[in-house]
Amino acid sequence: MHYAMKKGNVTKTAAIVLSIASAIGVTTLAAPAKAATPVTISVVLAAPPLPPEMLAEFTKQTGITVKWTQLDWDSLQTKISAAATANTYFADATNVDWSRVGQLGKLGWFHPMEKYVDTKAFAKDMPQLSSFTKNGHVVGIPYDASFMVTTYNKALFAKAGITKVPTTIDQYTKDLRAIKEKGVVKYPLNIPFAAAEGLSTYWYETTGAFGGQILDAKGKPLFASKSSAGYKAAAWMVDAIKTGLVPPGNINVADSQGQQTLMAKGKVASTFSDYSGNVGSLYEVPSASTVVGQVNYISTPGAKGPASNLGNADGIGIPVKAKNPEAAAKFITWFTDGKNMADFAGASGLSRTWVGYFFPSRLSGIAILNKKGSLIGGDVLAAMLDKSSAVFPQGAPEWYPQFSSAVYTNLHDAAAGTKTVDQAINAIAAVATKLSGGK
Amino acid sequence: MFVKEKKGDLLPYALILPLILFVIFLALTPAAFTIVSAFFRVQLLNPPTTFSGLENFKDIIANREVMSSLANTFYYIIIGVTLSTILGIFFATSLHRKFRGRSIVIAVLILPWALPGVVSGILWTGIWDANHGVLNSILKSLNIISEYQVFLGQNKFMTIFAIELVQVWQITPLTTILVLAVLQNIPDEIYEAARIDGSTGAKAFRYISLPLIRPGVAIAVVQSVIATLNIFDQPYILNGAANTGNSLAMQTYAVSFQNLNFGQGYALSLLITLFTLFVSIIVAKFIYKKIEY
Repeated sequence: MHYAMKKGNVTKTAAIVLSIASAIGVTTLAAPAKAATPVTISVVLAAPPLPPEMLAEFTKQTGITVKWTQLDWDSLQTKISAAATANTYFADATNVDWSRVGQLGKLGWFHPMEKYVDTKAFAKDMPQLSSFTKNGHVVGIPYDASFMVTTYNKALFAKAGITKVPTTIDQYTKDLRAIKEKGVVKYPLNIPFAAAEGLSTYWYETTGAFGGQILDAKGKPLFASKSSAGYKAAAWMVDAIKTGLVPPGNINVADSQGQQTLMAKGKVASTFSDYSGNVGSLYEVPSASTVVGQVNYISTPGAKGPASNLGNADGIGIPVKAKNPEAAAKFITWFTDGKNMADFAGASGLSRTWVGYFFPSRLSGIAILNKKGSLIGGDVLAAMLDKSSAVFPQGAPEWYPQFSSAVYTNLHDAAAGTKTVDQAINAIAAVATKLSGGK
Repeated sequence: MFVKEKKGDLLPYALILPLILFVIFLALTPAAFTIVSAFFRVQLLNPPTTFSGLENFKDIIANREVMSSLANTFYYIIIGVTLSTILGIFFATSLHRKFRGRSIVIAVLILPWALPGVVSGILWTGIWDANHGVLNSILKSLNIISEYQVFLGQNKFMTIFAIELVQVWQITPLTTILVLAVLQNIPDEIYEAARIDGSTGAKAFRYISLPLIRPGVAIAVVQSVIATLNIFDQPYILNGAANTGNSLAMQTYAVSFQNLNFGQGYALSLLITLFTLFVSIIVAKFIYKKIEY
């Protein structure tokens, strides 16, 4: 009896201790020895993992292991915002998109990069670093020099008897109509009309091709009048789907989806606003493309001749809740090294090539590629990069995500026929006017 | 003796302590925080946070996008709850009879419910896709259509119906299991007595099964209402942020995490919670019936 009572007490005490322990989250009694624990950092980007050979090399050099997670761009932006507002850890290094620099800089969700790396030394070799600076602080480091370009399938154009590359929008549109009329492909143009970020950037590039800009220095809309480039660009895009230049199914096709399932499969003949680097990283990859050797970059056709291309570089930064900011900074330094970026772009063979990588953000990286002659379409890209400009020369406004949402939902509605171009443009202009502080 | 009894009394409390703490910290505290914050202006890009009374609620009601997503969500609820309940009762009745491979069929039936919404959305993209979708391919090979059709993004009702079908595919298994569990509790004697009185098949279903499964149907309807009211993954994956399929949950996300207007986000969340509570009470009042055998 005595024994039984003791056993009962022990059981009760154990239950109480276990309950309290589980409630406060105690999971182990043995504390891990910190010194012996190898450093692992979490890197989350909207891109596939780096080549294993390269990651292994980084680990060998620094002792830091990289756990890479790939998310689609829109989901990644959501997770960054959700984690930051909840004040919780999300990743040690993650995406700082060009379009969110203004917002992220104001909110202070990322460590200023000058705290960890010599950004002044970086600036000399990275022309786009200034686009990642807000109030004197570098929010992220650009790891590619992505910009929007026009791609065309020269084999399909040739089948329609077109051998001269179009240099104006009018000629480009006529060529696309000829391809359709001659039955080379049913729908010659790829425009991703899904209500997502890719539609907004397509419109920005088309607006640039029509010779205009989206917002003025104060953030006011420059596209409200019918004679503006932005209005003409929207009308041209919507007209393209209504007149059968664009597949009707593209109403729900996102940018990368259209590039992979239409352009890379020879189902369309051209993408007016494609990504720099896609020829080398997608259209020339036999496992992903049926148009190897057929797709080239062309200077983006403009209103009166070749237009400038708009930059949309991808950056990487360290969230303030990162567990290992120093290790993350070491990774970013290595990740944005000129030679490594040249290797990502294919300078040292396939085993070191990063699938989907666009273009080094360092001039030294581009120089290595050009020297080795391993940049596919390098001469055309180099000329385009020379002419390229920022989507918002004054910097992306803090309210950019809300503005972009208005752009893609309204342009999608216009393409779907639930709004006219006029209604869509007026709705976007109203949002821009309101967000920039009214009239 | 008195001391021993007191010690003994502590055990039940200790055992439920984790649950109590879980509910307090992960349900009640955030709920209280949301209720209070709904009456404050909380805009991360335009600080400071100040008391704003009913301003957030007024702004929400005046917001056309919120009202459009409210209408969409209403359609999601009507389609989703109706279809999942009817199909759930049908499947449960079919599975109530014993047949070879029944347990395998139940296991397979559960699969869609176990899939995350994002995964089911991606799976169904391959079915609805207007350029390469399976459905278009089948319809064309059967000569039902001559051109590939656009199912999502053009017609609002078609878009909502197509998206909601994906969710119905996911939530019907739970309805089935809930109704099946209640069906299995109905004593065989009741059916035997009815059979003696000449009531079999459809009649037995109408006058015995249907009234007696009401507790299970009520719970199933409430869970379907909650699921459809909070639909997010399926429209987001299949139709992006387009107005044709935008739901209230998507709008709450956009207001909170895209516009960074958390005050309005809290207010919208509060309204959704109150609506869920209201519908649950209505369902409990009109469908639920306590049954004792």
